[in-house]
Amino acid sequence: MNNTLLELKNISYKYKNNLILNKVNLKINSGEKIALLGKSGSGKTTLISVLNGTIKPTHGEVKLFNKSFDELDRKKKRKITTIWQDLRLIEDLSAEQNVNCGLLAENNFYFALKNLLNISSFKKAHKYMQLCRLHNSTYDKNIRKLSGGQKQRVAIARSLIQGADILLADEPFNNLDPKLITIIKNLLLENVDKNNTKKSPKTILVALHRLDLLNDFDKVLGIRDGKIIFNIRRNNLKKLHLDKIY
Amino acid sequence: MNKLKLNYTSLSFLPILVCIPIGYQLISNIHFGGFKLFQEFLISAFNPKIDNEIIISVINRLNETILVGFFSWLVSIIFGAIFGILSSNIFYKFFNIPNFFYSIIRFLLTIIRSIHEVIWGILLMQIYGINFSIGIIAICIPYIAVNSKVFAEQLENIDYKSFESINQINAPKFSSLLTLIWNPIINTFKNFGLYRLECSIRSTVILGLFGIGGIGTSIFLSFQTLNFRELWTYLWSLAILIILSGLIFKKIKFNNTNKIIDIIFLAVFFITILFSFSYFLYFIFHNNFENFNSVSSLFKSSSDLGLFDFLKLIFETIILSLLSTGIAISLPPIVIGIFNNNTSKIFIKIFAFLLRLIPTPIVLLILLTFNNPSLSLAALTLGLHNAGITSKLLFTNLDSQDKRNYIAMKSLGISKKTSWLLGLFSQQAKSYLAYCAYRSDIIIRETAIVGVIGSIGLGWQLQESLSSFAWKEVSIVLIAYSSIAIVGELINGKIKNSLT
Repeated sequence: MNNTLLELKNISYKYKNNLILNKVNLKINSGEKIALLGKSGSGKTTLISVLNGTIKPTHGEVKLFNKSFDELDRKKKRKITTIWQDLRLIEDLSAEQNVNCGLLAENNFYFALKNLLNISSFKKAHKYMQLCRLHNSTYDKNIRKLSGGQKQRVAIARSLIQGADILLADEPFNNLDPKLITIIKNLLLENVDKNNTKKSPKTILVALHRLDLLNDFDKVLGIRDGKIIFNIRRNNLKKLHLDKIY
Repeated sequence: MNKLKLNYTSLSFLPILVCIPIGYQLISNIHFGGFKLFQEFLISAFNPKIDNEIIISVINRLNETILVGFFSWLVSIIFGAIFGILSSNIFYKFFNIPNFFYSIIRFLLTIIRSIHEVIWGILLMQIYGINFSIGIIAICIPYIAVNSKVFAEQLENIDYKSFESINQINAPKFSSLLTLIWNPIINTFKNFGLYRLECSIRSTVILGLFGIGGIGTSIFLSFQTLNFRELWTYLWSLAILIILSGLIFKKIKFNNTNKIIDIIFLAVFFITILFSFSYFLYFIFHNNFENFNSVSSLFKSSSDLGLFDFLKLIFETIILSLLSTGIAISLPPIVIGIFNNNTSKIFIKIFAFLLRLIPTPIVLLILLTFNNPSLSLAALTLGLHNAGITSKLLFTNLDSQDKRNYIAMKSLGISKKTSWLLGLFSQQAKSYLAYCAYRSDIIIRETAIVGVIGSIGLGWQLQESLSSFAWKEVSIVLIAYSSIAIVGELINGKIKNSLT
C-alpha cells in the first residue's frame, strides 16, 4: 500500500538568480521521523517552506496525499503544521491568543473574533502551554514581553494544538535550555504523552544542528547547497556522511 | 573654493528665501485705507462681546459644530478603516485577487483625497442646497480617503512572515485576515483617531465659513458685518473648545487589554455602518434634485476658459503651494532660534496657537483690509496658518529632546543661539523636514480655500464656474486640482521616504 504523505518531485527553487533548491526529490512516508541536517544557508528553511506550500517551487511538483498542492482543499492542507525558525507569532496578541490561532482552522469566524476580544475559551490552549512547560503567569502576557525560550514554546504549543498529521519544524530547540530540549523533544516525538491527553503528529521532519538529538529519529536527511546529499536510516549514518554536508 | 554642502539643518532654513518675492509684492500692494479696521480687529480681541444673547448663540453654534464634526469623524474613521483594509496589499494577498484591483482602488482613493473638503462642500451645496448633511458628507468624502491611507499604511507594515504563518494554518480566510489585522486597526484607531476628531471639528468650522452652518458661519457673518467684538467672542469660544478637547483627548488613555472597550468599538462600528447606509439612502431619496439635474448638462455646457488662462491658473496654484510651504517650513525654526528664551517661547506659542485657531479665510480677509488681493497675500496666509501647525510639532519635539549636547555646547562658551541650532535643532531637522513634506501635501489641498477667497489660482476659478453652473469648467478645474495634488503627493512621498 502506498503510504507516502508528502512527495517532492524534481523540485528547484530560484530566488534572485540564486538556485536555493536544486532538483530535490523526496518522499515522506506516514509515521516517519526525519532529521534534516545541513549548514546554515544550505536550503533547509526553503525546503520546509516548499513542503508546507508557503513557497511555490520554480520547477517540479509537490504532492500531499498523492495530490498536487493546488488540487487540495483546505481541510487536507490543514494536515500540515509548521514550527518556524523565526516563530512567526503575532506580536500584538497575548501568548494564549497566539496558541488559540492554531485552532482557527477548525473553527468559524466567530471563534476568531472571540479570540481577538479575549472572550473565547483558552482551556485547550492552556493545556498545550502547560505541556510545553509554560508557566501560568505567561498565558495572558503579550508576546513582546516573553523571553526567547518562552516565545519558542508558545510557537510549539500553537503548532501542536492544530492536531495535524505532519509536523515540519525548523530548529525548534533554539533558545531552550538542555532540560527543556529533552522535554520538548519528547513532546514532539513521542506519540502520546504520559497523561495520555495529547497526540503528537505521527510524521515529523525536524531541521536541526545538534547531532546529539538524532537518536530518536528514524531517518536522516542531509542537504548542501540546495541538493539532497543523503537520505538514509539513522543507524546507517556515518562520519563520512556528515563530512559531505558540513 | 569649497563646494556648498546642504544638510538637513540648512535645508530647513533655506526656504525662507520665498519671503523676498512675497515681501516685495506685499509692499507694492499695500494700501492704508483698512488699517483702522485692522486696528479695531486687534483691539476687539481683548474686548469680546459678552451678553446673554451671544452666549446662547455661541452655545448653539458650538453644539452644531461639535455634532457635525463628531458624526463626520465617526463615519469617516470607520469607513476609513474599511477602505484601508480594501486598499492594503494584505487583503489582496489573502484572497488572491489580482493587483490590478488594488491599483484601481488606491488610485480612486488618491483622487478623492486630493480634493479638499471645502471643494466637496461647495460642490455638494451647489447640487443639493445648504443643509447640515452636506457638511457631514463633504468632510466624510476626503476624510474616508485620508483615513484609509493611514490604515492601509499600518496594515502594510504587518510582517509578511506572520501573514505566511497564519495563512499556512489554512483557516477560513476571513478568520485569518481578521486575526492578522485586528490589532493594527485598533492601535491605529487609538493612536490616530482622536487627532482626526480634532481635524474634523476644524474642517466643520472652515465649511461653516462657506455657509454650512455652525460656529464657522457665525464667524463669517460677524466678519461680514465688521462686528469684530462678536467675531472674537466666537473665536475665543472656539479656542476654549479646542483647548478643552485637547485636554480631554490627552486624558483618554486606551487600555490595550480592556475587552469592554474592544466590544464597544465593535458595537459602534456596526451601528455606524447601519446608520450611515440608512442615512445615505434617506439622503438620496429625500432631496431636491432640481440643481442636481443641471449636472446632466455637463456635456452640453460650453467652457469659456482659454488654454492660456487655464495654464496660468495651474501655475498660480503651484507657486502658491511652493511659497506657502516655504514659509511653513522655515518660519518656525527661524523665529524659535532667534527668540530663544523662555518668555519669548510663551509668546511664540500663543501666536502659533492663534494662527492655528483663526480659520485661514478669516486671516486672509483681515489682511485684505490693508493689502490688495495677490498671490503673495494668499501664500502668506496659508504659510502662516501652516507655520502655526509645524511650530507646534517642532516645540513638542524640541521640548522632549535630550538637551545634553545643547548644555555641553553652552558650557564651552558657544552662544545660546548657535548652541540651540547645532545642539538641539540639528538633531530634529531631518524628522522635521519629513513632517513638512507630509504637511505640504495638505498645503496643496488647502490652496483651494485661500484661492476661493483671495481670487487666486484654481480655487477662484472653481468658485466662478460653480456659480455659473459651468459644469464642464468645474470638471476641468477639479481634474487639474486633483492632478496637482497627486503629483505633489508622489513627490512628497519620495522626499518622505528619503528622510525616514
